[in-house]
Amino acid sequence: MNRQEFEQKRAAEWQTFEINLKAVEKNEDLPSAAFIPSKFRKICYDLSLAQYRMFGARICDRLNSLAIQGYRSIHRTRGAFGEGFLIFFLRTFPQAFRRDWKLFVVSSLIFWVPFFLMWWSAHREIVWVQSLLGPESMSSLEGMYGKEADTVKHLRQQHGSNFQMFAHYIQNNVGIDFQLYGGGILFGVGTIFYLFFNGLHIGATVGYIDYAGDPGKLWQFVAGHSSFELLGMIVVGMAGLKLGLSLLAPGNYSRGKALARAGRSSLPLLLGGASMTAFAAVIEGFWSAQPITPSTKYFVGIVFWALHLLYFTVVGRRGYGA
Amino acid sequence: MANPARRIDTLQTVELAEGIEIHLRVAGPYLRFLAWFIDLLSKGALIAVYALLIGMATSVLGARIADGFISLGYFLIVWFYHVLFEVSKSGATLGKKALGLRVVNEAGGPVTMGQSMIRNFIRFFEMIIPIVPLLAFFHPRFQRLGDLAAGTLVVYSRARLDPMMPGPPPLSSVPVNITLTREEEAAILAFRDRSGSWSESRRAELGNHLVSITGVDDAKGVSQVLGMANWLEARR
Repeated sequence: MNRQEFEQKRAAEWQTFEINLKAVEKNEDLPSAAFIPSKFRKICYDLSLAQYRMFGARICDRLNSLAIQGYRSIHRTRGAFGEGFLIFFLRTFPQAFRRDWKLFVVSSLIFWVPFFLMWWSAHREIVWVQSLLGPESMSSLEGMYGKEADTVKHLRQQHGSNFQMFAHYIQNNVGIDFQLYGGGILFGVGTIFYLFFNGLHIGATVGYIDYAGDPGKLWQFVAGHSSFELLGMIVVGMAGLKLGLSLLAPGNYSRGKALARAGRSSLPLLLGGASMTAFAAVIEGFWSAQPITPSTKYFVGIVFWALHLLYFTVVGRRGYGA
Repeated sequence: MANPARRIDTLQTVELAEGIEIHLRVAGPYLRFLAWFIDLLSKGALIAVYALLIGMATSVLGARIADGFISLGYFLIVWFYHVLFEVSKSGATLGKKALGLRVVNEAGGPVTMGQSMIRNFIRFFEMIIPIVPLLAFFHPRFQRLGDLAAGTLVVYSRARLDPMMPGPPPLSSVPVNITLTREEEAAILAFRDRSGSWSESRRAELGNHLVSITGVDDAKGVSQVLGMANWLEARR
């Protein structure tokens, strides 16, 4: 079969394939979708034949672009949004977490060790905490959680409405999550730096309030959202460490391949962790500052921490790949 | 089978699960840098316009709500400007659209939200050490680290940059008496398909690479190559 014959014989089919694809893409003429896979296979066959026999750029280009369009259409993954959402949180995310539980330990240690060190140091020698926080944030902390302070009133004055607080927390905390993740590309150093620094800073805050203010006010305020916020950050830290680790210890793969694999497998951790932090912002903005009895706040906080433990150990066990 | 077109064109070959090879026209770092710069300016402009609009609406919303909207908008623009444009139908941010580029996955298809987030969040840190984005120069597909992690490529959105023009029809076909390799055959055919848009001297320059086959150089060599192409063409 020479080129002319080939083109004459097949051109009509290429055209109908293109028309069918466009129609299916626009959700018109859905019955013809059933024929797309078989027509796509023929296109694949034609493309490799044309390439092998060097039928020239005109035919090869045409078939190349048809093959790309067909591949896109067949391999597109557009499930129902709600279904994808459920599958992600009931299966993909907790499974990805358990697969890398060792990284969770590492990520937790990088955060909690400086946290407790700073807190502990406030009882021994307050200078460390003072030099880390600086005078401005110390006076602001005293206004918020000092012995005579009215926490809720102060927050309102500082941040105004609930919505404003929520927006501020989203911008700040979720932004930190994304930085944590991206920092993983510097052989994990960026991730470690942000986790460590957050541990130091939050530990210093707690230590200072313990030293100069009324810690009860702080615990009441953070109880509700603490589990989402801190665990969310640590989980995103796992994703960042995964990126860094793939460059440091690529194993049997080239560094490029290892990075590609780490990118794919860290995605659920990034999305899951960032959603946890975003949800924390909702609680922090609209609930944590409400005048509710302290015991209720503590109770809710403890329940959320317990639910997280349950979620990460139990959910999604029966599904594939648990 | 090594693809003979590989060295003739700046195309990258990708093998799909179907066992076929498709070709993508990958964009180089220079254009991508320009696109990034345009995006930087558009992000700045977007933030300015947004702040202006919210500022004007402050009297309606109240200062505190307006401040909240500023925070949220700033967050969205800084972190999701690239992501939202790249998952849109055009697959390109404003800068990439202006330069005729788009982001695709390694099979030439549209990228997912997750892929786009990975490649853009990593970029921020690649920029911290200015040498790192330049590493893309050394990658055969010009992928920077973020592209590698996300499995994405930046390609030209048009398949052909400029239309090909076949050379003038030869006066006679020249039979080829030696066995040509696939690459040589592809080169001769590509020469004919494109030589119409080259100048006389460019044709001669490229034709001279085939001296070992044609035996003559310059203008004679060119007509010899075109004649051979005609003969090869007639046989297929």
